[in-house]
This record gives sequence, structure tokens and C-alpha cells, in this order.
Amino acid sequence: MLSRELSMRIPFQRHIQDFDQRVWVLQGQTLTMVPRKANVVPVTVDLYPCKHLETLEKGRGDPMYLGLKEPQFSLFCTKAGEQTVLQLNKKKIKDLYDEPQPEKPFLFYHKEVGSTSTFESAAFSGWFIATGSNGECPIFMTQEVGKTHVTEFVLTTLS
Amino acid sequence: MQMPAELLRALALALALRLLVLTGACKDVRMANEVLAVNQPFAFNCTHPPLTFGDVNVTWYKAPRNISLSRNITWRIHQEHTWILILPLSLEDSGMYQCVIKNTKSCYRVHVNLTVVKNYSCVSSGSSLPSLSNEYSQILYTGNSGSLRCHLYFPDSCLLDSIKWYKDCKEITREQQKFVSSDMKLFVYNVSAEDGGNYTCTAILKHQAHPRIQYMVLNSITVSITERGRPGGRIPKIIYPQNNSIEVRLGSMLIVNCNITDTKENTNLRCWKVNNTMVDDYYSDSKRIQEGIENNVSFPEHIFYTVNITFLEVKMEDYGLPFTCHAGVSAAYIMLRFPAPDFRAYLIGGFVALAVVVTSVLGVYRIFKVDIVLWYRSTFHSAETREDGKLYDAYVLYPKPKRDNQCHKVDTLVLKLLPEVLERQCGYKLFIFGRDDFPGQAVANVIDENIKLCRRLIVILTRQSSSCGLLKNLSEEQIAVYSALIQDGMKVILIELERIEDYSTMPESIQYIRQKHGAVRWRGDSTEQSQCSKTKFWKKVRYHMPPRRYPPFPLAQLQRHTPYIYTAGKWEPNVGPVTH
Repeated sequence: MLSRELSMRIPFQRHIQDFDQRVWVLQGQTLTMVPRKANVVPVTVDLYPCKHLETLEKGRGDPMYLGLKEPQFSLFCTKAGEQTVLQLNKKKIKDLYDEPQPEKPFLFYHKEVGSTSTFESAAFSGWFIATGSNGECPIFMTQEVGKTHVTEFVLTTLS
Repeated sequence: MQMPAELLRALALALALRLLVLTGACKDVRMANEVLAVNQPFAFNCTHPPLTFGDVNVTWYKAPRNISLSRNITWRIHQEHTWILILPLSLEDSGMYQCVIKNTKSCYRVHVNLTVVKNYSCVSSGSSLPSLSNEYSQILYTGNSGSLRCHLYFPDSCLLDSIKWYKDCKEITREQQKFVSSDMKLFVYNVSAEDGGNYTCTAILKHQAHPRIQYMVLNSITVSITERGRPGGRIPKIIYPQNNSIEVRLGSMLIVNCNITDTKENTNLRCWKVNNTMVDDYYSDSKRIQEGIENNVSFPEHIFYTVNITFLEVKMEDYGLPFTCHAGVSAAYIMLRFPAPDFRAYLIGGFVALAVVVTSVLGVYRIFKVDIVLWYRSTFHSAETREDGKLYDAYVLYPKPKRDNQCHKVDTLVLKLLPEVLERQCGYKLFIFGRDDFPGQAVANVIDENIKLCRRLIVILTRQSSSCGLLKNLSEEQIAVYSALIQDGMKVILIELERIEDYSTMPESIQYIRQKHGAVRWRGDSTEQSQCSKTKFWKKVRYHMPPRRYPPFPLAQLQRHTPYIYTAGKWEPNVGPVTH
């Protein structure tokens, strides 16, 4: 049971699911929440905690860079009119992690309550990573927390 | 006249939109494969959040003719809001469907490849049929409570009720307290390995257009049980450091490990900080202090992490500054301090130094013992005469060799040099047999009486001392030596007139004294230099002599000797000068 490895300290690698037996997958270029099925392969999400805690807001959770392992993408927030839009960016989160300054559009405050995790954009306060409550649905950003959308996720370690 | 014109315009718009869609100006966002059994209701919602939360126009088309579907809800195949609804599926419904999502700015297209298969039964999940869209694979975690989800999604015009759950084709009843069905979920309490298996959820669907027709919809769910826990919110524990200090020498290199245990599920940042800044940032220019690569070891219950901090060279400013290891909300620091003085080393050093000093002093004393003692006597001599009842400082015992030259040497030393140096220069008083005895006195008496008045016995030895038998035969020597050794414990000074290699022929008493106290060898002659009390020979003799307690006699007095006679129980000076 004991495995020893010399590894980079991070990233943490997780699958992300919700309480409706759905998991994050990558469909084409779209991050999507889909019901878990035999042929559904959850996307492995890399998490790098941001080192520059002193320059960030406290009490909103641990600032994290989120990315996909394969293909390599980082999650990135931008504005499209009034909306905050979640995008996949080609930047590697390891590079973001090593930046001397926090890269806020790529940062999410990861807040854990019990086993549930929420991810709030560090750049756009009040905007959370969310998905629709039914069936297959893309991952997007929302300000409506605890209403029609799902903003609570569960991180599971890889088997 | 106006109506046909508007109709025409709308028709033209619809045609233009269709042309736009068909020519590929829309962005394809999704391709869904749906496989379902015949006679099942089928619904698919065309959404693309967050776009579809706004004001969008959604239109469903059926390939290959790309005719938009009817919005008449009584039709078997129709569009309701953003949904396509087929009540129920027939085999010929298989094929490609498209939905186009459009607003004023953008256009998205979703493709659905629908396959309708013949039959579905509770046991079909194990068959070789392609997996159906309503076949799910769900996970429960042991030890926790979890829930299974029945994924049945239909437009609002559909009413779903009578939801039932089956495990391995047996209905789950309300009596089974382990399970609670609520809405579309089945809660499973205290999950264990036996809870894995094939579950089915079923519901009765009624559509508002045909409220009397009931359709059965279902999900087939394969449930697996895993042991992997979910985040429990345990805080990481820093095993080391423990807010302690570390002794380190200035300028040395130092590596300190931070040892942390944390759960597998936690995503805590682990790092070293100084002044609330990451050390790598704080020393970004010099890189003098750096955070190392992290190691981790996985255990069944937790992960053991080690992250080190490396001081390439400890500098003055590092002392007393807390270097803090962080792991999530946990933190612990180390502080550097100067090494405490090593008392043991000092102690050992002190003893060694003391030993060296003592050895040196002893060595010096050994070499200069004679000079030191003589100097001490001359500097701190007491003018007072200590009454010890002695009259002479030394009794001089000497052989009388038969050979003339030796006889001359002995006489020169005994009668000339000894009085000259010891008596005249140093102020000692000697009893020299043959000089200081009274003629006619019995030899034995003279010796016996006078030797008791002496503080030292000086024995002059020649090579023939033994062979000529003087010491052996004459009672003088025997009495003197006996008296010196036994009776008075008197100190004996042996003076070798010449080198004597073989003492075995000497009397045992002499051998004993030679062995115990050594002998002083006469190397001089009768020259003036030999008469100087500061030569090595005389210094040695003076060293062995008792401390001189009175100043040297005036020269004239040297010629006067006052032998003592024993009268009425005490020694009194024999009045009257004696001249030799």
C-alpha cells in the first residue's frame, strides 16, 4: 500500500462531480457536466494553490489555478458584456503558478464546506463556476448561487 | 393585401434562416448519440448555457430533408420550447436531428444521432446490445450516505410520477430503511459493498396532450462501490517544526524539513514563508534561501509530505527570524540561534592547558631545581638559628687511598676545597675527621659523638674505596653510615671523586644511598674556578646541604674551631681556639 514517489509537489489531481451522479468531461472544446455512464471518461482537473495569499482576499476560500490535464488547458474568466464567461485557455497552470504575481482571471477561490466545493472567480467577485441542474450541461459562470444552477461540486481523488 | 406581404416576408426570413443554418454559418457545439428502445418516450433539450438562458430562438430539424419539426404538441414528433419530444419512439425515428440556437448575435447548432432499438427489458443491460442512453453507471462511497439519481428529463408538459426503484430487478420497498426515495433520487444510507449492483428506476409519464396515455420511462443504473472517501475537512498536521529553534553556525549551510500529514482529499498549499512572504519570492534575487522540491509518501489513511527549506549560507540577519512552514491553515516555525558555547570542550581545553603548564613547571623545576632552591634559600633565608642541637652542618667521611696521586686528590678536596667553598664561602660548618678531632681521642668515640652533632654526612668515594677496604674495615665509616642511616635518619651526600661504574663492591648501605639519592661527581681540580661556589658541582652539593642559617664566617673565624664536648647532659662549646 505504500508508494513512494519523488514528484512535483503539485498539482492536486481530481475528478469533479456533483450530487446528481454527474461528472465533468471535456466534450470537444467544451467543459461539460454529464451523467456518469460506463463510457464517460471524467476529465482530470489539475489544481494549483496560489502562493500569493497576501495579495488576495481572505475568507473567500483558497485561491486555486484550475486546469485540465489532458489536453492541457487552464480555466479562465473573462467578461462578455454583462456576463462573465468561462473559457479554456492554452496557458499552462504550472506557469501561472510560478508567476511572481497572482493571475487573477485564472484564479478561483476554492471554498470547502464539508465535502462540497465551490469555485468563485477571483477576478469577478460573486461569479461562481456552475452548471445546469438537469442532465448534460456545459460548465459556465453564474451569479445565481443556490438557485436554478448547480454551484456545489465534489472533488474526488483519482483511483 | 397586407397579410400576404407579411406572410411572404416571414417566409423569406424563415427561408433565409434555414439557408444560413444549412450553409454552415452556425457553430456546431455538440454532437449527441442517443440510443433508446422502441415505444419509449424520447425527449432532448437543446440548450447551450448560458446563451439559452437569454432570449434565443431554438428550432429543431429532422435530417435529411431538414424540415423544421412541428410545434403542435399533439403530434407524435414535435418541438416544445427548446425540446424535441417523441411520444413514443418508433423504429423509423432513427436518424439525425439538428437544433439551431440563435440570437441576434450568434448561431449554434446541436446534432442528435438517434438510434431506436427493438426491445428493452430489465435484464438487457448484460446483453450484447449497444449501451442505451438510459443506462448509467453510478458510484457510491462506503461508509458514507449517498444517493443515486434517476436521469429522466422531459419538458414541463410531461408529468412524471409513481417513481419506483429496483435493485437487481427487485423493487425497493419503503420498509427497507436503508433506502429512501425522494423525487428523482434514491438515498442510500451507510453504504457498504453489498449495495453495489444493478438498479432500475421507473416512472409513469403522462403528457398533457394525451392525459390518458401512460408511458413507462426508466433508467438502468449499474452501481459500483468505492472506498475512496470524499473530502472530510480535516486540517493538516505539521509534525515538524514545532516552533523550535535550531543551533547553527554563521556562514554554514542548513536544510530543514517540514513534515506534514494531510488527507488525500485536501488541496492545501504547503510552503515556507518568511515575513509572510514565500521564501522564494523573499530571496528572489540572491536565491540564498530556497524552498525545496516536495516529497510525498502515500499511506492508506493519509499522505506524508516533506518540503524543505535550504539556507545556502546562514547570515546574521537570519538569526531570530521565524521561518514558517505552512500547510493550509496550519503553520509552525523554526528560528535560528547561535550555537551554545561548548563547556565540555572548554573544560577539556582547560585541563589540557593546566596539564601542559604543570608539566612545564615540573620540567623547569626539575632542570633548575638546584638553582631555584639555592635562590630561594638566599632570598628568604632566616637569620634565626633553629635549635636542633646540631653543631655541624656536615660530617665529612673520606677514604685514605694508598696511591699518592689519589691521596692527594682526596686531601685537596676534603681539606682544601670543601672548607674553602662550604665553610668560607657558604658559611657551613664541617666536621672533618683528621682535622677537627682531638688527638688521642678514641676514634670510635669521636665519630659516634660528633656525627650526632652533624646535619649531613658527606661521603667521598673513590674507585678504590672498596678495594682499598677503607670503608669496609674501618669502623669509622661503618659507625658513620650506620649512625646516619639508622639512628638519625641523616641525609647522606655521596661525592664521587671519579667515575665509579661498579658499585657492587661497595657496602650495601652505600649502594642503597646511591640508588635512592644519587651521587654528585667531582669534575673539577684545584684551580680557582673549581673553588667557586657557583659552579655546577658546588651548587649540587649546596643543594643537598641544609639551608644556611647564618652568614658566612669572617675569614679569620674560619681558622677557629670549637669542638663541643658532652658534659653534664648537654653539649657545650669547648672553650679555646684550635689552630691547624
